[in-house]
Amino acid sequence: MAAQVTLPATAPRRKPYNREKRRSNLLTVVMWLCVLYFIVPLVWLFVSSTKDNSDLFTTFGLWFGRDFNLFANLIDVFTYRGGIYLRWALNTILYAGVSAIGATLLATMAGYAFAKYRFPGDKALFSITLGAIMIPLTALAIPTYLLFSSIGITNTPWAVILPSLVSPFCVFLMRVYAADAVPDSLIEAARMDGAGEIRIFWQVAIRLLGPGIVTVMLFTLVATWNNYFLPLIMLNSEQLLPLTVGLAQQQATSAAGGGAQALFSTVITGAFVSIIPLIIAFLYLQRYWQTGLATGGVKE
Amino acid sequence: MRHGARKAAFAITSIAAVAALTLSGCTSDGGSGDPTGTITDAEREEALNTPTDLTFWTWVPDIQDQVDLFMEEYPAINVTVENVGQGLDHYSKVRTAVEAGTGAPDVVQLEYQFISSFALTGELLDITPYGAADLADEYVPWVWNQVVAGDQVLAIPQDSGPLGNLYREDILAAAGVTEAPATWADYKTAAELVRANTGSYISNMAPNQGAGWVGLLWQAGVKPFGYDGDEGVTIDVNSAEAKEVVSYWQDLIQNDLVSVDPDFTDEWYQGLNQGEYAGWLTAAWAPVFLSGAAADTSGLWRADPLPQWDADNPSSGNWGGSADAVLKTSENPIAAYELAKWINNAQEPALLFATQQNFFPTAISVLEDPEFAAQEPEFYGGQRVNELFAEISETVDTEWEWLPFMEFAYTTFNETFGAAVAAKGDLSAGLDAWQNTLVEYANQQGFTVNG
Amino acid sequence: MTNAIQRRQHLVAYGFVLPFFVVFATMLVAPLVYSGYLSFFVNRLIGGVSFVAFENYLRAFQDPGFLAGLGRTALVLVVQVPIMLGLALFFALALDSGLARGSKVLRLLIFLPYAVPGVVAVLMWGYLYGQQFGLIGQITRAIGLPRTNLLSDELILFSIMNIITWAYVGYNMIVMYTALKSIPAELYESAEIDGASQWRLAWSVKIPMIRPAIILTLIFSVIGSFQIFNEPKLLVEIAPTGITQSFTPNFYAFNLAFVNQDINYAAAIAFLLGIVIMIVSYVVQLSTQRRELQSWPRR
Repeated sequence: MAAQVTLPATAPRRKPYNREKRRSNLLTVVMWLCVLYFIVPLVWLFVSSTKDNSDLFTTFGLWFGRDFNLFANLIDVFTYRGGIYLRWALNTILYAGVSAIGATLLATMAGYAFAKYRFPGDKALFSITLGAIMIPLTALAIPTYLLFSSIGITNTPWAVILPSLVSPFCVFLMRVYAADAVPDSLIEAARMDGAGEIRIFWQVAIRLLGPGIVTVMLFTLVATWNNYFLPLIMLNSEQLLPLTVGLAQQQATSAAGGGAQALFSTVITGAFVSIIPLIIAFLYLQRYWQTGLATGGVKE
Repeated sequence: MRHGARKAAFAITSIAAVAALTLSGCTSDGGSGDPTGTITDAEREEALNTPTDLTFWTWVPDIQDQVDLFMEEYPAINVTVENVGQGLDHYSKVRTAVEAGTGAPDVVQLEYQFISSFALTGELLDITPYGAADLADEYVPWVWNQVVAGDQVLAIPQDSGPLGNLYREDILAAAGVTEAPATWADYKTAAELVRANTGSYISNMAPNQGAGWVGLLWQAGVKPFGYDGDEGVTIDVNSAEAKEVVSYWQDLIQNDLVSVDPDFTDEWYQGLNQGEYAGWLTAAWAPVFLSGAAADTSGLWRADPLPQWDADNPSSGNWGGSADAVLKTSENPIAAYELAKWINNAQEPALLFATQQNFFPTAISVLEDPEFAAQEPEFYGGQRVNELFAEISETVDTEWEWLPFMEFAYTTFNETFGAAVAAKGDLSAGLDAWQNTLVEYANQQGFTVNG
Repeated sequence: MTNAIQRRQHLVAYGFVLPFFVVFATMLVAPLVYSGYLSFFVNRLIGGVSFVAFENYLRAFQDPGFLAGLGRTALVLVVQVPIMLGLALFFALALDSGLARGSKVLRLLIFLPYAVPGVVAVLMWGYLYGQQFGLIGQITRAIGLPRTNLLSDELILFSIMNIITWAYVGYNMIVMYTALKSIPAELYESAEIDGASQWRLAWSVKIPMIRPAIILTLIFSVIGSFQIFNEPKLLVEIAPTGITQSFTPNFYAFNLAFVNQDINYAAAIAFLLGIVIMIVSYVVQLSTQRRELQSWPRR
């Protein structure tokens, strides 16, 4: 259905009559109160980033401390151990970026093939893929670690990227999306014109699959960005850690004291900085996010 | 299988090398042990002058300074320091790296309680052939006992943590306690006064601090652990003596005279900073730790030996402290040994550990160094805490052993005894529960369990 | 279609799916098989490796820690998942109905926690839960409520459930909301004109129409519940007696492998966990599908 492909999710499809008259004040109040639950911790995080270590524990959590220490904290974050925070951030971007691109490519090709081609074994392979969605990746992490260590690629970026390339759910999403988004008639027409299958894929299908591709990319980006377990066991070297493991390790160090001053304010500010990129990405790309989720959510 | 072939080739070469060394018939440099094959001075010189890359896994902050001094001394050797985590995280990384066969470092930091577990799995290099046995006299005897197993030396001691009592003189004075308690009975009286008159707790007994609790058992002369180096372990954490110690604490806990908050959390730091805890029964590394963590309370603390069970025979226990060991998988054992030895033994770096990282030293020369002993930190109102702890260090019971699976022991500690502490319940039952878990694990792992 | 063309298309199709399945085989199948293989052995500190067939699995069934972990997961399934999905559904419906002012902003703000990396969320809540100095403690003290230790042994599981709910309500809400948005208006415009209230509409029309979306979120939540790891791992330092080694099956597998050095038993636990998840997911799917067959025709 073309509507799903071309219209953004917020296209009006109801007549706007009676809208203004039928607002419920009660519901508005309830909803905004509920929103407080979601927002207050983030507000706390921001406010705490502006405090120094002693203010953190002596002043009220939702209001600022005696001094506005945000810039000093930021400097601490970025100079801690020679600027390793930036290194962690770059690592996160690298791992998440490469995994997202790779996983999207694999899933798009496979999903497209499942949607548009009939070939021996396609049902079986697709069922296996579906079934694999339910396998907990964390159950695989430890044996994957042992496999990797026997070929010596633990403690390298590959150890984090390779396992993140396989996303059965994304294959499912792309299949569903491609079935709708790329009309068979278009493919037939292109074939009549003499185009090869691969050319059809790259030049015709990809364009139509756009929103789905963005969704899958966002999905895998977020999943790898937030991954903690996998890099925790695969990586040893401080220089290779992503933000998740690095921040957690920093928290552990500050809790243990380490002989030096407690680092809690640095950890908190570092945590605050780390959430900004994804929030910006989400704000910017909401449209695709919601369209893509529609695909998975509505169809079966 | 290039990797496998390389490993095999290396294995053969190293076996040949060791065989050659043992057959070379060189005598050790004046040490008193059996004349096992030792490396010659020529070999040592050669190793120290050959360009080598070493990896050193440790979580000691700022140890780069000591390592830099080492690299200045031996310019041919390049050392990379990695912090792969604290405590248990670090140990699991070491083990998995050794098991995987690649990525393992040459030198690792090991706390004393974990040395036997690494020795059991055969991961530590016996450094006697490299001259380690000669260092025995340079270290405090009970510490040296911790790094030897039979006639093997497994690590070079770095720091230690004999237990003492750090307390807030002002809070105790406000409560009417003029002298630090000398016996445990006095301690209880003082606890009552402090709680009643000031609302603070005389101390916090953390439910997640197995090492601290075990240190107190150590002080009382309890011997809960034993390992014969082979297949036999002794597990007796719920002996009558141990139960006597814990019933003392159960009394204090249940009468709300000591708190039971988990330690090394931000809440706990604030408790120290804001005077909720009037004291801390802790190790020799704590004075400087506290100076950093509770800086706002500078000048108010004093140090004293632990309250005693027997005032005529003062004793203490130990909590923490590490050594540096060489892994068997190291491809440059001589250089690795020299690294581990030099930073902990040469006067300059060893003293630096005491003055910079504020570790409590184990080398006698550093303990007696005037620069160390005469320190009068303002945090303790000018008291010579180092001198005090050096004295305490001499009262630490020398006969103390660990189980070869302390990681497991400490984690189950939290779930058994620790849970009883947190619930302010029956601590003896907690000890029994811990005993059962330990025995079950030991049997499962194939050990012969005595006691 | 001629045979030659058909065959060429088949080859092309295989070509498209091959890269995915190569990675699939190496990153999913191989570790799974290896995990199964490992689970049939033990490696004792004394005595080394030996083959023990199903002994590890028998041990798991009798392991009070493992069973307690499964029990906790069941509790999460029965308590946290319905609450979270219920809230998500409520918010989605409320926003779709247009009854509340500022829906767009509301939607965004509820979704925001999902953009917070899980590790950061747990660390953050860890600070908030601090009894004396955490925000929650500060607020309850100011209001005069009694001091509760949200990190205590009794409450830690519920505190963890709260963190999960906070992080994922928004995500589930968006899934349901988008599904709601794609219901064609005609289906209930007549009902609206007749004066049916939004509540009635929601109950009788909207919810049944987005059943697939709800089931999707349910299945993912079920799978997610079995995989809880971040929260216990990051909170164990501040709740050391409440969070046991076997707090959740996943956490248990990690501790077995990396703290207890018991890789083989960890493999058995991981394998068992995978099987349990598949069974539960299938059961959930089947039970919702059966009701599906009786529902009214879909769009």
